[in-house]
Amino acid sequence: MARSTTSRHPSVLWLRWSWRDLRARWVQVTAIALVIALGTGMYLGLSSSAAWRQVSYDASYAESNAHDLLVETATGTTADRLALETALDQVAHPEWFADRSVRLVVPVQVDASTDDEDVLVPGQIVGVDVVQGPTVDRVTVTEGRPLTAADDGRLVGLAELRFANARNLPVEHEVRISGDRSLQLQGHAQSPEYFPTASEEAGIFGSAGFAVLFAPLGTAQALNAQEGQVNEVGVALADGVDAEAARAEVEQALSAALPDVALTVTPLVEERGYRILYDDIDGDQRLFNIFAGLILAGAAFAAFNLTGRIVEAQRREIGIGMSLGVPSPLLAVRPLLVAFQVALIGVAAGIGVGLVVGSVMSTIIQSFFPMPAWQTPFQVGIFARGITLGIVLVVVASLFPVVRAVRVPPIEAIHTGPRATRGAGLAVRGRGLHLPGNSLVQMPVRNVLRAPRRTALTALGIAAVIATLVAVLGMIDSFIDTIDRAEVEVTSRNPERVSVGLATYTTADDPRVAALADVEGVAETRPTLDLGGTLRGNGEEFDVYVGLLDFASPIWAPSAVAGELVTDEPGLVLSQKAAADLGVAPGDRVSFEHPRREGGGYRMVQGEILVTALHPNPLRAIAYMDMRHADYFGLDGIVNGVQVLPEPGYPQEQLVRNLFVQSGVGSVQSVRMIIDTLRDTVAEVLDIFDVVQLAVLLLALLIAFNSSAIGADERAREHATMFAFGITPRTVLGIAVAESALMGVLATVLGVVAGRLLLSWMVEVLLPTTLPDLQVDVSVQVGTYLTAALFGIVAVAVAPVFTLRRLRRMDIPSTLRVVE
Amino acid sequence: MGVIELAGVARRYETGGGVVTALAGVDLTVDAGELVVVLGPSGSGKTTLLNLIGALDTPSEGRASVAGHDLAAASRGELFRYRRETVSFVFQSFNLFPGLTALENVRFGADVAGRDDAVGVARDVLVQVGLGDRVDHFPAMLSGGEQQRVAIARALATGNPVLLADEPTGELDFHTGTQILQLLRDQASSGRAVLVVTHNREIARMADRVVELSGGQVVHVGPPEGGPVPVDELRW
Ligand SMILES: Nc1ncnc2c1ncn2[C@@H]1O[C@H](COP(=O)(O)OP(=O)(O)OP(=O)(O)O)[C@@H](O)[C@H]1O
Ligand SMILES: [Mg+2]
Repeated sequence: MARSTTSRHPSVLWLRWSWRDLRARWVQVTAIALVIALGTGMYLGLSSSAAWRQVSYDASYAESNAHDLLVETATGTTADRLALETALDQVAHPEWFADRSVRLVVPVQVDASTDDEDVLVPGQIVGVDVVQGPTVDRVTVTEGRPLTAADDGRLVGLAELRFANARNLPVEHEVRISGDRSLQLQGHAQSPEYFPTASEEAGIFGSAGFAVLFAPLGTAQALNAQEGQVNEVGVALADGVDAEAARAEVEQALSAALPDVALTVTPLVEERGYRILYDDIDGDQRLFNIFAGLILAGAAFAAFNLTGRIVEAQRREIGIGMSLGVPSPLLAVRPLLVAFQVALIGVAAGIGVGLVVGSVMSTIIQSFFPMPAWQTPFQVGIFARGITLGIVLVVVASLFPVVRAVRVPPIEAIHTGPRATRGAGLAVRGRGLHLPGNSLVQMPVRNVLRAPRRTALTALGIAAVIATLVAVLGMIDSFIDTIDRAEVEVTSRNPERVSVGLATYTTADDPRVAALADVEGVAETRPTLDLGGTLRGNGEEFDVYVGLLDFASPIWAPSAVAGELVTDEPGLVLSQKAAADLGVAPGDRVSFEHPRREGGGYRMVQGEILVTALHPNPLRAIAYMDMRHADYFGLDGIVNGVQVLPEPGYPQEQLVRNLFVQSGVGSVQSVRMIIDTLRDTVAEVLDIFDVVQLAVLLLALLIAFNSSAIGADERAREHATMFAFGITPRTVLGIAVAESALMGVLATVLGVVAGRLLLSWMVEVLLPTTLPDLQVDVSVQVGTYLTAALFGIVAVAVAPVFTLRRLRRMDIPSTLRVVE
Repeated sequence: MGVIELAGVARRYETGGGVVTALAGVDLTVDAGELVVVLGPSGSGKTTLLNLIGALDTPSEGRASVAGHDLAAASRGELFRYRRETVSFVFQSFNLFPGLTALENVRFGADVAGRDDAVGVARDVLVQVGLGDRVDHFPAMLSGGEQQRVAIARALATGNPVLLADEPTGELDFHTGTQILQLLRDQASSGRAVLVVTHNREIARMADRVVELSGGQVVHVGPPEGGPVPVDELRW
């Protein structure tokens, strides 16, 4: 019955009509809008967070007036401050150089134990110029008070924020340092060089295992008995000055004025820490795009489904329109308007979701990579892109069914029933297929087969989500498996062992080393030697930490998964990842730059070394060499660490304390602690995955609910007929559940296969570029498959239960009467 | 004591624009073995009457009792059972299951009524309605009249004592229509109470009794003028 409309323009009628369509299906519309909201929201939130990192890092470096060039003396040496500064003044273009600050960085052993735990770690004191600044590489205090000129020479300092956070240090805290002295920490602080703690040592120990303490320069010099000495200068350039040109000039001035002092000059952008920060953004952004893309794909499928079904329900009306001569584009307007409105609602909600996801990500990133300047400007570009993408995707997805519908000959559209032409679907082909059971039992299978295209689309929508779920959970599994592999390797023998780092290089017959064997709780000791080096090959270049130890040690030695551990020729035992990246196998040679003792000092030399074996530790940077070949480095008889096997049952904490107070001991780490630190680091990465996981689980539920709501809607007439024949709502629900379960099984199988492929791609193609230091192998736990099945089959199957109320309250006569 | 007994039955709908009275003060008794035709113009309440007897709808007032079931007093569960085992419907708009073949649709009726050899019954009934060669076709592949015959077959397959047919010959040509009417007549002869809704006065001539509705009220009840005639004497 056409009630007269007061509208002046016909388009108002179409708009109102589509609005009525929308309201008639508000449940599905809401569900799909939520799906779109999640998809766009994830994209907006995740992408915003990547953009925030970029601006925040830039701002943090700028606010701290970070150096553009870093001048460093060779490891273990210092230079006279005055001589160094005078030399730097000799540059050809003084106007290129804006400012500089000197530092003295000295290695130190730290006992930062709190009431809660023993914290006995290696670290460094970073002596900064509190008298004149520091004006370059400022120390930003996040809690507590800054260091002032009055502090110079006093035993006060600040804990680097990441270490303080990792160890839950109180703001004011007294720490013991080597030489049996104490430092009164006044707060927590950050400085550009330690935004990510990128030093070699911290690379091994992680931020929790390496203590960076800022102290006044005078204090650092006094503690180390190095008055007037420094070993780092941070140089800030004037605006617009080319760093490479400036670097050349500085190098020239230094070698002219101080020919005997070994100095390196490195631009900030080449520094490891700087690169880690920025490279990480790109890697994460790619992951985020994939996740958001998958979720959006799920949303698009859902929208495609909804419009497809709306169109199908309107087939007759479209047919009538066609026979009345209404042009096709005009007929397409109504369903497209519905899709557009759904997209608008979804995207509007997506903005809200995006803001929430963004703020959650912001919190996670801030705790993971705390920065002095954290800015979260609204990302106009990303939002504009995301909103457009969300709307376009949904409208385009809806275009297909609409175009198809307005293209069929009118006669087909008006044919007896709405599902007339397509009603039978695959079932027609399956006619010969005789299913067991009575007609009720067959109904679910029939329904699934009846509209194969619709079944496929619904299944694909769910499958997209399940694929994301499997990929995300599989990623978490793979990371955890990686750590498990590391743990298996290092705890294969004597897992309770402790590794002691000596404060300096010494000889194996040093009585202080021998004395460690007599410390209470110690059963046995073996000396070790840890060195750094760089491997090159196959276009790759990376640092390795070479652990020299007795491969016949009863305490622990690496295991070989390939090659021979004991060889006559000196060689390295590499991680499988390192060998793969370098393109070498046991028996091959690889380019190796390493220190070599010559006379009283060390020189970096370049050579080719044999790869003897591969060990299973997933950390690429770990390498080993048999102690027998220490001569390769000119270090025969030199040690800087000790493997310690405790007496059985001796409390480990006590043992660590006993060892730490021994003279010459720098650090004491239990093997368990190293693994735990690694676990903590990975746990932080996994926080981000948790956000995605949550969204995906929610999405799976929404899509499941959505498809069953659509199903209930479409089947209303059939259900009413069944009621008329005395079939109870419970049985009708049973049929719907069975049908959903079938669909869920199909979707889950598809989703698991796709997810597994996606995971392989992420782990094998994406991770090696974003996380080159770690060998992550695809590993999917049974729990992940179970979760996929739980959401893909169980949740999807159970979803129709939510329609029970609607079934019970159905107006049977009206539903039956509707003439389509 | 009739199989169907209605006393003072009314059905009113509350709508935004006021109350619509679909039925008011209907008294009706139908005995087993009786074929009653309900006649009336469009909107007179014919379908509403069938829905009330089939327990798809509940009267706003009055008493309805069918085969000893007091429909107003019955629980939900009893009503579902009643619909499975006592009544069967031929809907005005067929309401076939599009996902089931003709045979399966009919078998559905036999299944829910709990009949043995549901498939055998379904085949027989389909042959009776003249669709023995279309058993494996889906509703979408059948003409409107064929679909209507499947709907009738589905109702017959239940074997329930009360048969409610809403415009069962609406889509049928004369020849097929009379076949179906004969089938309905046979149902009554075998002891069922058959209620046929139509607006075709000619069909009313075969009824044992005719109930005329107008504006929701019974305006006339009684045997057709000149008494019931055999189906093959109908002409339209
Ligand atoms: N849910 C409802 N709300 C309001 N009015 C209703 C409702 N259902 C039926 N009616 C009204 O009740 C009256 C009787 O309807 P009913 O379907 O019984 O008519 P009918 O005699 O079967 O007509 P037809 O021959 O056209 O099928 C009609 O006027 C109809 O508009
Ligand atoms: Mg009617």
